[in-house]
Amino acid sequence: MNRRNFGRLVAATALAFAATTAMVATPALAQAGKTITGGFDVGPGGFQGNFNPMTATAGFTWLNTYFEPLVIYNSDLSKLVGALASEFTVGQDNLTYTFKLVDTKWHDGKPFTSADVKFTLELAKNAESGGLFAARLADVASIETPDQHTAIVKLSKPNSAFLSVLGYVMMLPQHALSQIPVAEIAKSSWWSTKPIGTGPFKFVKYVSDQYVEMAAYEGYRGGKPKVDRLINRYFANAASAVAALRAGEIQFTFAEPDDAKTFKGNDNFRVIEGDSYVVNYIGFNHRVGLWKDLRVRQAVMHAIDRNAIVSSLFGGAAKLANCGYVAPQIVPKELINYAYDPQKAKDLLAQAGWDKINGDKPISWLTYYNTPQVANVMAAMQAMLAQVGINVVPRALDVPAYNGIVRSDKWQDFPMIYAGLQNGPNPASLNVGLNGSQLPPVGNNIMRVEMPALTEALNTAMAETDAAKADSKWQRVCKEMNAELPWGPLWVASRYGVVSSKLKDFFWTPAPAGGPFVSHPEKWDIAP
Amino acid sequence: MASLIRTGSAGPIRRALSRFFENGAAVAGLAILVPILLLTFTYDLWWPYKPNDIDLLAMNRGPSSAHWLGSDGVGRDIMARLLQGGRISLLVATVSMVVSTFIGFFIGAIAGFAGRLVDGATMRFVDLAMTLPPVIFLLVLASIVGSGILPTIFVISLLSWPVLSRMVRARLLELRERDFVVASRGMGAGLWHLLIRHGLPNTIDILVVYATLQVASGILLEAGLSFLGLGVMPPEASWGNMLNAARATNVLENYPWQWMFPGGALVLTVLAINFVGDGLRDAFDPRSELK
Amino acid sequence: MLQYLLRRTAVGLLMLLALTVLIFILLRLTPGDPIDAYINPSVPMAASDVEMLRTRLGLDQPLPVQYVAWLAAALTGDFGYSIQRSGEPVLQLVASRIGPTVLLMFSGLAIAVVVGIATGIFAAVRRNRLSDLSLSTAAFVGISSPAFLTALLGLYVFAVILRWVPAGGMLTPGAPFSIGDLLAHLILPATLLSIGHGALIMRYMRSSLLEVLSQDYVRTARAKGVREFWVIVKHAVRNALLPVITLIGSTIGIAIGGAIFIESVFDWPGMGLLMINAVVRRDYPVIMCATLLTGACVIIVNLLTDIAYAAVDPRIKVA
Repeated sequence: MNRRNFGRLVAATALAFAATTAMVATPALAQAGKTITGGFDVGPGGFQGNFNPMTATAGFTWLNTYFEPLVIYNSDLSKLVGALASEFTVGQDNLTYTFKLVDTKWHDGKPFTSADVKFTLELAKNAESGGLFAARLADVASIETPDQHTAIVKLSKPNSAFLSVLGYVMMLPQHALSQIPVAEIAKSSWWSTKPIGTGPFKFVKYVSDQYVEMAAYEGYRGGKPKVDRLINRYFANAASAVAALRAGEIQFTFAEPDDAKTFKGNDNFRVIEGDSYVVNYIGFNHRVGLWKDLRVRQAVMHAIDRNAIVSSLFGGAAKLANCGYVAPQIVPKELINYAYDPQKAKDLLAQAGWDKINGDKPISWLTYYNTPQVANVMAAMQAMLAQVGINVVPRALDVPAYNGIVRSDKWQDFPMIYAGLQNGPNPASLNVGLNGSQLPPVGNNIMRVEMPALTEALNTAMAETDAAKADSKWQRVCKEMNAELPWGPLWVASRYGVVSSKLKDFFWTPAPAGGPFVSHPEKWDIAP
Repeated sequence: MASLIRTGSAGPIRRALSRFFENGAAVAGLAILVPILLLTFTYDLWWPYKPNDIDLLAMNRGPSSAHWLGSDGVGRDIMARLLQGGRISLLVATVSMVVSTFIGFFIGAIAGFAGRLVDGATMRFVDLAMTLPPVIFLLVLASIVGSGILPTIFVISLLSWPVLSRMVRARLLELRERDFVVASRGMGAGLWHLLIRHGLPNTIDILVVYATLQVASGILLEAGLSFLGLGVMPPEASWGNMLNAARATNVLENYPWQWMFPGGALVLTVLAINFVGDGLRDAFDPRSELK
Repeated sequence: MLQYLLRRTAVGLLMLLALTVLIFILLRLTPGDPIDAYINPSVPMAASDVEMLRTRLGLDQPLPVQYVAWLAAALTGDFGYSIQRSGEPVLQLVASRIGPTVLLMFSGLAIAVVVGIATGIFAAVRRNRLSDLSLSTAAFVGISSPAFLTALLGLYVFAVILRWVPAGGMLTPGAPFSIGDLLAHLILPATLLSIGHGALIMRYMRSSLLEVLSQDYVRTARAKGVREFWVIVKHAVRNALLPVITLIGSTIGIAIGGAIFIESVFDWPGMGLLMINAVVRRDYPVIMCATLLTGACVIIVNLLTDIAYAAVDPRIKVA
């Protein structure tokens, strides 16, 4: 009897406890006004916690909702159009760029003028500012401001990539930043507390590691935005963002291919598929001695059944690459296609004397991709390479460890990598990874590719400022890559975003580094 | 076995064993554990698939007569990976248990026997090891030594020994001033002799229990490391990295066999080891006879 | 006693110093530095700009110089700026994570204590009956499950499928602060967090109570005709709680470091998540400051435990 009483007491306590917790667990009510919440900085194009566009290596989708560059890629990333420059012209000498500026105001009401352009470019060019543009803007000789709405940039030598670099340089307000000493700018709290831009949304607040909130900028020159608030929620990984999307808490996020698949055929969501503009390749460390013989590199290509991997593991959502490019205008017709042929791979290895070069000793194969899909893809390639007698051991590292290793000179630590490099929209992007003059620490040629013919082809293509003639120059680069295999080119995969069907006129594309591209955030709308 | 245990004036270990075998949960734990060990260590003799054989034509298949437990994202047989993964997980857990028990015992015993000064210094060292935030220690250590089977063993061992040292030292401190220890010291016995002849027998109960439970927590730690992207690297199978597949909503939802089986195997094994460890603790605890 | 306290405090400070040296060395042995974390390997960028950043941050100087510079600043209370977040002072950043972590850990512990003690008592009273066996088994399963798996499953079931609670985060972004909103976000991670601790507390409580119940004074009380309910509540539970309290105390010291798995699955902005992010991005100043804080907590708790032991058990000399 007594014991039973005691049991009841315990039960009652537990029940009361459960009831209190259930009562308080009512979700907060929705806000008045229209709000779009998204995971705008999820995935490889995002950069959570960075608010300084001069130090951004990604995250431009979000930065572009409040900052704007002079020129910007259009929404299919095919060409540069004006943003804060209403028109821009290049002089006959290929050195003088004239920008006519739009008539607009900063979020604090001050007018945007050519002085801001001069200030921004000089700041970006100044390595003291801690920005990442100094080397890329090194050719800028002078910036003239004949009037409030005109800026003239003079280069010291022709540079075909200049405009596309400008596409990443967000204009900054001189009146707000000029008081801060240049060396202090990078760590100023201005960026994450009260930045002002000219874009359709203005910064409200950043709650550290949780979200960033924006409010509509009523005075936006493209019209008042349709929604009142825009919120960028932070996620530790893409899977959590997908969970929040499915729970209806956010309306947009980047998604891993496998997760994107689960939304197909679901009327409540729209899946956006786009070219990643990143070519994946097997990197052969040219200093390590294993890959000197072209036949070995060819054998690697023939050993891998790329078609099977693309159709099964990528679900068809990747384009085979036989050089660094897949864009039709850059890929010449007569390329070797390195079909899957394990016997040929074995023969090539035998001719090259692979037994003596390495035999079946394990070769460490590094990557910085930590996604389940890449783990599967690499496991598949490992099995295929094992069939022909190349014993590779995949090893996924975090980004800093990967960079720390491949930028060092301990060749034995990275005989082989699985990596990606942006190959578009501007084909010149690959130059830093392949040009013999771009070896670290100068450039990003981490595989130490030193092929004079390829370097020459790249230099010629880089120097060509006439767009009409450029394609054929890049075709030569492609052909050279295809024949000499500085890398083992694999494919260009698609990337995905998933959008709630509640969103109207929302535009996003998986551009490298998140853009910037014309996305018209002021037109984004959400159904109640 | 049973008759052997019950005969005459049994020693403490024998009495403990007999108590252990009277504990239902502990015996159940053994009954679960033994078949798991058998299956894991013999599977390549009787199971046709190899854990790393890919089959791109049979990806993400559910359980069938060909693949009893289905196949994974590159068409590898889950059954083969489950058993190979078990082998690796148990190997990692067991070896790291041996290493950490070894370190833990010796450091604790030296602190307990070697006098005040050494004791103080050693224990502050142990405190320091405990002060390191596990998160940072794990992540940093794993990125220094790399990921793989050996580094995982290294990380788990280094993370686990301080607790044991403290327990061993506490037990031996009481012993230090006892007559027989003082006497053997007076007769010029070396530290080594003290450790083996007096330290070991007097802490054997702590060691056995710690070792058992450490295997369980080693398995869990390996799984946790894999979740953080450290630990045993795919394509080598381990229960941890198989479970990691559940991170993708797609797998969690559509291919449950890919994580449920390793998850189930892991929980079951850890559970069984915990049962055994608990049984051992009760068996070695003299007070449990009173109950 | 005072002398002992002073000495231990001094030793504690020395240990913190040793800890910072150790972490500093470990960090520099880790491949990749904050600048390497900055580089997006897929995006072409001028490497020379990156090298300039390294010089600006002083990362190209010899290790001892870097350490002394850090220590000198830290002694004046200046822990520097986060490298990876534009202009967030580290001290402010780390301090802002203590609140969420303490909230999560203590809610989790509170649930664990209440449920663990209640079920522990219940199981002890019903010793070896079906209810005891099932509770004990459940507790064992709780101890034996990997935290990240229960977190993933919990999030999926309760947030994605049932939509009872929000899918991660601490507050609804952009909404004005409300207690209800906070609790809605808190309840699931706290409950999942309580599973492991609760199971442990339940088992301690059960065995401790069983032991007390077999002791003489309880038998005496029973013999005197005190009702069983009061025997348990007044005499037994109070005494049985002692070891359980020690257990809870030892958990608190570790708690400040955050629950790494729960925090990362639920995007809970606490110390655990901060540290993971800081390590992944090699944000040295953040790691140093966070380590110092968690190290200090562990040292203080260890000291308090030793003092408490000494106070309880006269046989242990404070040495």
